[in-house]
Amino acid sequence: MTDRGRQGGVQSFSLWGAFTSIKLTLFLLLLVAVTSIFGTVIPQQEGALELAEKLSPGLFRFLSSLQLFDMYRSLWFRLIIGALAVNLIVCSLDRFPSSLQRFRSVPKADREGLFQNLAPERSFPVKTQIEPAREVVEQVLKSKYRKLETKDGDRGTFFFGEKGRYTYFGVYLVHFSVLLILLGGIVGSLFGFEAFVNIPEGDGVSKVTLRKSRISKSLPFTVRCEKFSVEFYPNGAPKEYRSDLAFIKDGKTAFHGPLRVNHPITFEGITFYQSSYGSIPGDKVRLSLKKQGTEENLSLEADMGKPFPLPGREGEAVVTDARSDFMKMGPAVHIQIRPTAGEEVHFWVFKNEKMIKQRFPGIFERFPKLNPGSFKPYVFSLENMDSRYYTGLQVSRDPGVILVWAGFLTIVIGLFVTFFLFHRMVWVRLSEGKKGVVVAVAGMGNKNPVGLERELDSVARELRKKLDGAPS
Amino acid sequence: MLNSMILSYITFIYFFSFLFYLLMMVMGKEGFGRVATFVTLMGFAGQTFAIALRWIESYQLGIGHAPLSNLYESLIFFAWTIILLYLVVEWRTKNRTIGAFATPLAFLAMAYASYSPGISSRIQPLVPALKSNWLIAHVITCFFGYAAFGLAFGLSVMFLLKKIDRPKRNSFFLKIIPESSLLDELSYQMVVIGFLLLTLGIITGSVWAHSAWGSYWSWDPKETWSLITWLVYAALLHSRMVRGWRGNKLAAFCIVGFCCVLFTYFGVNYLAGLHSYAQS
Repeated sequence: MTDRGRQGGVQSFSLWGAFTSIKLTLFLLLLVAVTSIFGTVIPQQEGALELAEKLSPGLFRFLSSLQLFDMYRSLWFRLIIGALAVNLIVCSLDRFPSSLQRFRSVPKADREGLFQNLAPERSFPVKTQIEPAREVVEQVLKSKYRKLETKDGDRGTFFFGEKGRYTYFGVYLVHFSVLLILLGGIVGSLFGFEAFVNIPEGDGVSKVTLRKSRISKSLPFTVRCEKFSVEFYPNGAPKEYRSDLAFIKDGKTAFHGPLRVNHPITFEGITFYQSSYGSIPGDKVRLSLKKQGTEENLSLEADMGKPFPLPGREGEAVVTDARSDFMKMGPAVHIQIRPTAGEEVHFWVFKNEKMIKQRFPGIFERFPKLNPGSFKPYVFSLENMDSRYYTGLQVSRDPGVILVWAGFLTIVIGLFVTFFLFHRMVWVRLSEGKKGVVVAVAGMGNKNPVGLERELDSVARELRKKLDGAPS
Repeated sequence: MLNSMILSYITFIYFFSFLFYLLMMVMGKEGFGRVATFVTLMGFAGQTFAIALRWIESYQLGIGHAPLSNLYESLIFFAWTIILLYLVVEWRTKNRTIGAFATPLAFLAMAYASYSPGISSRIQPLVPALKSNWLIAHVITCFFGYAAFGLAFGLSVMFLLKKIDRPKRNSFFLKIIPESSLLDELSYQMVVIGFLLLTLGIITGSVWAHSAWGSYWSWDPKETWSLITWLVYAALLHSRMVRGWRGNKLAAFCIVGFCCVLFTYFGVNYLAGLHSYAQS
């Protein structure tokens, strides 16, 4: 099996042998733990950009090349975990044969040696005769231990019951579970994807953006956000986010339902999660036009992209763009005028005109593109802008997650079997003494000696009760 | 509110428990120990009542949820699990000396919750991310795990203190501490229980994260530190199979492990991320 020969004091090294070492396990477990600490104090991924501004470019490049800013996906971190997995596999393979042997070797029922020097609670005379006593012992032991072996000898009748022989394999189940979880992670990162998408209310999308690479990915269907609603508590904290989504395939709505935080929707193997939201300018804009030199003030509602005639028939105007925050000066709309005579004029109209005039005096005069009065004789002002919600969704597919869930289930079972279930072997001897029948109880176990003693006490007590109280 | 007022008084009850356990150890009279157990039981009953009351009061406010959702509530629950676990251990081992090392942990958690200026005891509504049944399973398993590791920490401190006990020294305090092998065995049992519970805690957290954020593991500081804690205790469990790793080394390991627990619980709030209590 292992090749660790000694030749004149020199121990030959074998790679397999090195990986069977538990000391290596200790080292690797603690190495993963300590290196993981770095990833929590060094900003990772997006957070690193802030740090980049504070460090010199050379230092940042150097640290970046060590993959310190995406540590958990770095090659060296994965190698350490890989080494731990190999160590786990090798240790298990190395120790499994001896566990199997222990599982297979059934002890003899008539082990005389165990019954030497027993305490009086474990070795006591009873009033019952040997034949009925035998039946009682069999019945009591069978009810506690499924496996029961009986052997008649010249020193008496021996009974052997045991349970939990399988618990030797608990530790292998735990280790297998760890491998299963790691495998699930690998499968997920190789064959799955994580993306996000923002869908304005009323719109549908069939492309999402991958989180890591920012590349666009097509979906085999369209997702439409029919409505988005957000509710708040009286103290201002969010109460609920809810997107009513419709999934459209081949022109028909295949499924629709509400998406809430903690209640994702899966469609054709791709899962959607409610992540965030925001608002964007809507379709309608309320403008007012003032004619210079008059008191005329016309208020009208314009649809985005739909031209409307100017009141004096000087031409057509159309709102081509709307922003909730243009050039950090607040809401603004872009107006294009097509006069009946003359060239096209276009300019932006801000909502907070007064505030802008105060902060940047003369700005409208200097930049005709920002001047709401660029098309004489009209001065436009923006009274109101509709806004729409957009819903921010996480989109992902993870074919490995089922392996991870299986690993979670088996690790809990494995831990329970390893630490809370025990292999117990109980021997009872019925012998004919000078004063009558004597019952002796002895046992062995692999863990938890206190528990073993308690169990033997309970068997002895029950036997005593049933045999001393039973008719002879 | 009534529940937080009761809880602030319970803080002092646990302090008195601690004093009586300590008196028992210094004066060597079991009578003080019996008083200590009685006081602890009263405190525990009162705290259980206050927690149930808080749960009910949240429903009366129209924002009903289990009292496990912010730093204040988690500290109170942490103290509750430590006392519960300690009382079970005291009952099973018939040993009161551990009380002097377990009750201060509970007292400190309650004191921090009730008297720290940065922690609000107001019942707050649940934000959407916390509205999940996994909240209860995740918080309960994690904190019972932390409590078990806390007891193992106390036992390890006792173990190391016992080491300085020599036959010549006449310190009753040290003599009344149970013998090293018992402390070692009990500490190991606590670590085993804690490890299973922490594993369940990490698992329930992952499943919850997957349903809320689409990712069962995103290496955020809290998740990472809980894994670090898990790895340290996994190493501890493996080290018992290596010869020469009993006793002092194991006790030191338990103490380091509990420091990781504390960092996972409190330290990560200074590191930002999705999990940070600091945001609330």
